[in-house]
Amino acid sequence: MGNGNRGALLALTGLAAAILAGCASEAPPTPVVSAPAVSPDALVGKWGLAAYHKDADRPRTVKEALAQCNKPYVIKQGPNGGLMMYLADNAQIQELVLKPGTNGVTYLGPPGDAGTTDDRQVLNVDPNSFTTIWVDPDNAARYGTMVYERCGKRT
Amino acid sequence: MTVRSGLFLRAALAGAIAAAAFVLPGVFASAQQVDMNVVDQPGYVPSPDEEQLSSVYEKQEVFFRTNEAPGTVVIDTSQRFLYLVQPNNRALRYGIGVGRDGFQWSGLQRISRKQEWPDWRPPPEMIERQPYLPRFMAGGPGNPMGARALYLGQTIYRIHGTNQPQTIGHAVSSGCFRLVNDDVIDLFDRVPVGTKVIIRQAVAL
Repeated sequence: MGNGNRGALLALTGLAAAILAGCASEAPPTPVVSAPAVSPDALVGKWGLAAYHKDADRPRTVKEALAQCNKPYVIKQGPNGGLMMYLADNAQIQELVLKPGTNGVTYLGPPGDAGTTDDRQVLNVDPNSFTTIWVDPDNAARYGTMVYERCGKRT
Repeated sequence: MTVRSGLFLRAALAGAIAAAAFVLPGVFASAQQVDMNVVDQPGYVPSPDEEQLSSVYEKQEVFFRTNEAPGTVVIDTSQRFLYLVQPNNRALRYGIGVGRDGFQWSGLQRISRKQEWPDWRPPPEMIERQPYLPRFMAGGPGNPMGARALYLGQTIYRIHGTNQPQTIGHAVSSGCFRLVNDDVIDLFDRVPVGTKVIIRQAVAL
């Protein structure tokens, strides 16, 4: 390697060191906290609730959910703006909140970090239906995909 | 009670029964009559080890004296056995779970319908107790109805599989008869629609 090349290598090393030092001294980026894409109001109401494990069963599960409106799953607004609902395997109703995830997914669970094992993902929200999948793999395996169909459709 | 704590209680109960049988073999017959009153575990898929029944409840051919024709199903609620009558005073015997106290019944029915991987709709009292449950669960592994269902006449009762093999030999259901999935698949393949089913319930003195 000639002197010219050695000089260039040293310059590049210095530049890299400066960049790394600069990175190390920078404050970590502040996470951007956005509002959840789903409004709590969209989930308030009486719902027929049904579940499936195989995608092929989704169409008939949706029909079955509607047929279960005589035993509705009722979601009311909580005192703090959340939603009064149940966690998996817990018959105690409690206030849950919608939480934006870093991956664009909306989570529903106890106040706190998004995507914890008590949470469920909220998918496919429209005025008359939504779908949830538990984050906890055990709960997800046992309950599968849960479909909520509004009893008395909103027009 | 959560399912997890329910699992713990069930394990504790099973351990207690096993311990009683080991220490006092004479009390085992009465210990196994305990009404477990378990919480269903929708979605739970048991391991092969969990599906292994104790020898008395394993499917086996036994001596069975009866005037019923071969092919008839006889359910002995008090003994927790289902018999499929064979020729020459023989029968195939399967271990079953039966209705808990107040939910046992007797009668004569016929198989009116057969269904592979039946769907499950928890009864209203169960929804009241476990309001977080889906009101409908499509059939499949982990479904409380198990792999097969044989409908009994026009009643609400069925012979079906289960995802809770630990309940075989116990009084746990709302009046249905449950077998482990391998056994209910075997029975399903042997009995056609129209099969005569006799449900016997011994009178407690």
